[in-house]
Amino acid sequence: MSTQTITRVKPVYSVTETAEAYAVTVQLPGVAKADLEITGENEQVRIVGRRSWQQPEAWKSVYRETGDHQFELVLTHDNAVDVDAGQAELRDGVLRLTLPKAAAAKARKIAVS
Amino acid sequence: MRLVRYNYPSSRIASTFGFGRSAFGGLDSEINRLFESAYAGCGGAQATGGSSFPVDLFQDENSTFVRAELPGVSRENISVEAVGDELTITASRKAAEGDKEAAATAISRTVTIPEGTPTDKVTAAYENGVLTVTLPKPEEVKPRKVAIQVS
Repeated sequence: MSTQTITRVKPVYSVTETAEAYAVTVQLPGVAKADLEITGENEQVRIVGRRSWQQPEAWKSVYRETGDHQFELVLTHDNAVDVDAGQAELRDGVLRLTLPKAAAAKARKIAVS
Repeated sequence: MRLVRYNYPSSRIASTFGFGRSAFGGLDSEINRLFESAYAGCGGAQATGGSSFPVDLFQDENSTFVRAELPGVSRENISVEAVGDELTITASRKAAEGDKEAAATAISRTVTIPEGTPTDKVTAAYENGVLTVTLPKPEEVKPRKVAIQVS
């Protein structure tokens, strides 16, 4: 157990919906690919991002507006998305996550015979 | 079927027990409104509703460092200008196709830097959505011995 507790904050994010998928955009400044963790279980998608940059020893902070906190975002879905088929892209501190809708959740046309 | 927004327990408890709007008769929203109007002129990140970005200032023996969080901004859309004792970072965002929320905007912050900073030696790097500007300290800051003639 580490003695230092790192607080976790909810990042700025947005969710948009198309006919085929949900697109989640999460702002994760300072988070590199290696420090990002996306897990899906029990109707939840959990995104945890640790800040990759560490303040060098010689640097003295003069004024801070950001923190050293981690980012954590938990999205709950009622199994309407296929997490296994999800795709994620992290570029310039922005995560774009595409979660395709599960087959059961898609609108279906029923032909009248 | 839809994605359900995750709520932190604190806000969930507040709504379950009927606090908030009904109990205080909209007082909390009134206070929020007053605070927003009071801080509107300060240019703070929160007060201006995301029209700015957070910056950090660091120092070591030889340089001053400015770090700005600018996620999702292309390198060519970031401009860094050092004039006199002011450093201005401007980031512009082009409007994304068919996305009303991502309209074209330009956001900027100005920070005061030590006077006499050699502006031709200022460097900037952008990584993982964070811009780091390195400003070498002016020569005059280093201590100098001045001999005083006694007449």
